[in-house]
Amino acid sequence: MFRTIAIRIVLGLLTLFAVSVLIFVSTEILPGDVASAVLGQGATPETLAVFRAELGLDRPAYTRYFEWFFKAIQGDFGVAMTNKRVIIETLEPRFLNTMFLAGYAALIAVPLSVGLGIVAAINEGKAVDKVANVLSLMTISVPEFFIAYILILFLAVQYDIFPSLSTVFADMSFTERLYVAALPAATLTMLVMAHMLRMTRTSVLSIMSQPYIEMAFLKGLSRSHVILRHALPNAAAPIISVVALNLAYLIVGVVVIEVVFVYPGVGQYMVDGVSKRDLPVVQACGLIFAGAFVGLNTIADVLAILVNPRLRNPR
Amino acid sequence: MTEFDNLKTMFESGKLSRRDFMSGLAAIGAGAALTPSLLSSSAMAATPKVGGTLRIGMEGGSATDSLDPRTYADSVMIAASLACMNGLVEFDNAGNPTGELLESWEAKPGAIDWTFNVRKGVKFSNGKTLTADDILYSIAIHRGETKSPAKGILAQIKEIKKVNENQIAVTLESGNADFPSILGDYHLVVVPDGFTDWQKPIGTGGYTLESFEPGVRLVFKRRGDYWKPGRANFDMVEIRNIQDAAARTAALQSGQVDAVNRLDARTVDLLMKDSKLNVVRTKGTGNRFCFVSRVTEKPFDNNDLRLALKYGIDREQIIKSVYNGFATPGNDHTLDALNPFYNTEMPQRKYDPDKAAFHFKKSGLGNTKIELQTSEGAWATAVDCATIFQQSLKKAKINLDVKKVAADGYWDNVWLKVPFCAVYWGRRPTADQVMSQVYGGNSDWNDSNWRKPSFDAIVKEARAELDQNRRKEMYWACQEMIADDGGMICFAITDYLDGFSKKVMGTEPHARYDMNDNRIAEKGWFA
Repeated sequence: MFRTIAIRIVLGLLTLFAVSVLIFVSTEILPGDVASAVLGQGATPETLAVFRAELGLDRPAYTRYFEWFFKAIQGDFGVAMTNKRVIIETLEPRFLNTMFLAGYAALIAVPLSVGLGIVAAINEGKAVDKVANVLSLMTISVPEFFIAYILILFLAVQYDIFPSLSTVFADMSFTERLYVAALPAATLTMLVMAHMLRMTRTSVLSIMSQPYIEMAFLKGLSRSHVILRHALPNAAAPIISVVALNLAYLIVGVVVIEVVFVYPGVGQYMVDGVSKRDLPVVQACGLIFAGAFVGLNTIADVLAILVNPRLRNPR
Repeated sequence: MTEFDNLKTMFESGKLSRRDFMSGLAAIGAGAALTPSLLSSSAMAATPKVGGTLRIGMEGGSATDSLDPRTYADSVMIAASLACMNGLVEFDNAGNPTGELLESWEAKPGAIDWTFNVRKGVKFSNGKTLTADDILYSIAIHRGETKSPAKGILAQIKEIKKVNENQIAVTLESGNADFPSILGDYHLVVVPDGFTDWQKPIGTGGYTLESFEPGVRLVFKRRGDYWKPGRANFDMVEIRNIQDAAARTAALQSGQVDAVNRLDARTVDLLMKDSKLNVVRTKGTGNRFCFVSRVTEKPFDNNDLRLALKYGIDREQIIKSVYNGFATPGNDHTLDALNPFYNTEMPQRKYDPDKAAFHFKKSGLGNTKIELQTSEGAWATAVDCATIFQQSLKKAKINLDVKKVAADGYWDNVWLKVPFCAVYWGRRPTADQVMSQVYGGNSDWNDSNWRKPSFDAIVKEARAELDQNRRKEMYWACQEMIADDGGMICFAITDYLDGFSKKVMGTEPHARYDMNDNRIAEKGWFA
């Protein structure tokens, strides 16, 4: 089993390396370069040349890649081209903000959706199952900004319960953060719930047709006992991977939510970096996102191996 | 009662807005010179109060912002720099240059040799007293080997030197009567001689910087010893980056911020009904939206085609459907109506399908393909405008192909390269800058490639002319030449729309920028 896990982790690292090459190459082929993007309409050929030389853009790409890669794995992403700030200093608080929001949303969404999924499975075909399904499908079927604006309209503008600006600052206490980030966390919860709820329900139900479940019923166990004790552990692997996928989404896919709620996360930083062609910033954000994505999926795979009774006890 | 007294009474009693008053003055031929004292006596009658925290929500910033003035490009950093630093020259609400750190100036005839007096007794936030050396340094960082966007406008300086601690002398390459306005450029803010630590700026402004998270917020604290009387009245000022117009609107409505810029024209009607809010509209000084053809390329080398296109665009329709009425029709040049040299007698060009058809027929182009390239990268609604243009040309039996191209790299790959494309121009402080940068024979940005020696000669002569009436005649002629012969269809100039909480005072429209020239932190106060 440990060999399987080790192989999975090595594969994860290799993926990350491949992604780093891809990130570097794709930022190289973006149309326009940082010099012309920063100088914009005001650029003349002369000022462009000065700026390019100043940024080192006149050196070959592979030299710049290896320099960047070896520094990046030590946590040094260099200095932003546009405002000369040390990237890691800007990125770190923003990354923590992103993790805070993702964690906040996940803490609500995961127990809620897995729980509801199990309840739905236990009550398959009954009213509670149908209501849970329809509601979660509705929230996933509308665009994220729509949910966000609806929440802002009712909970911030009409009834002044939560703030519409969810910007968190370094000097805020933990409870203040929970309060200001309530609306984006609620929006995200609605967005990711449907997927996890339905996956939990389906995987549990698919196990239910197995012979050993029938055996359990024949033993005289109650439906909820069968599901919790016998079906769920075996259904855990697909649930874990869909949870991991949604957690990854909470970290890397929330740019729109960040914009609407003015939340200072990594997404907005990356978008600003892209629009100004600030390559080191884009690369750093890309790598962080890739790391989060690959990391979560690796953890999910490892967990799936650990919880699966057949993989746990190889014969 | 004379016409002038009549106007004056109406203005002072509040029946006329400042803008209407100014245009009324222009109509009766009263000079701009007498207005500042009159305006100040009534508009500044209310005494500002000190205190409170002003929270501003603004678009126009990004996580890549820096306080280095050589990188300023958008509203947030302009507003931030003017909170903690001062410019060389300020503009009054009508757009005339007035003294700031350079308190007064004088030109010798020919407008080549200038002397500027440095304001005395002004202190930086680190306690240092302002001298001519600080001014020279703050100008010098934009000259020579630099990427500063102000480099171009300062290239006309042949020599700049200190006369004494409180005076500098400038010699220009050639005469420029607008030189003080040039020094009012927003990049030219003043820091102490030799200053380089842009993370912690030191300036002479009314506030000092407390904290700065690029793309998130800036916090400023009142200094308390500001040299401008009655200005910088807030204890604290917070500028927050809010890129999304709906988010800005919601924040203003729910009272999380006191002021926002760039309201969405499509929903501003609803905000105007809110009794807690005050929407300030500055007519026709925003971006100038144009479709520009390169007159050196076929088929746009044919002036009849250009005229056909100019008559064939339904400006009113575009303004109505795209800008919800919050824009002013353009007259095929990029000078705005608030500029003192705006040609008020040139008739506004209107949609006229018959004239368009007539000129198109005269051009003899028949079925030649005419392609307009447009993109959301030019400005957000450029594609909508192009579509209406296409429809309005159909009535004149002209077929326009509208090609939507990628937003990425639009300014690199499309603008200045393709024969016919969408472009917007921002305001330039002086008529000379408009004429020489947008239409000048030597300008790199002459996007219509319309280069006329006769035009350049007039512009050059007007530049050095100190007699304002003579200049006016010359600039009027320039505008006619551009509108009748140039390659640019300038169809709309947007209005600036700011939103304020009713308790924020000092929110007058300004001829230069929105948010009272992006100086609301300095000029405003709480009622």
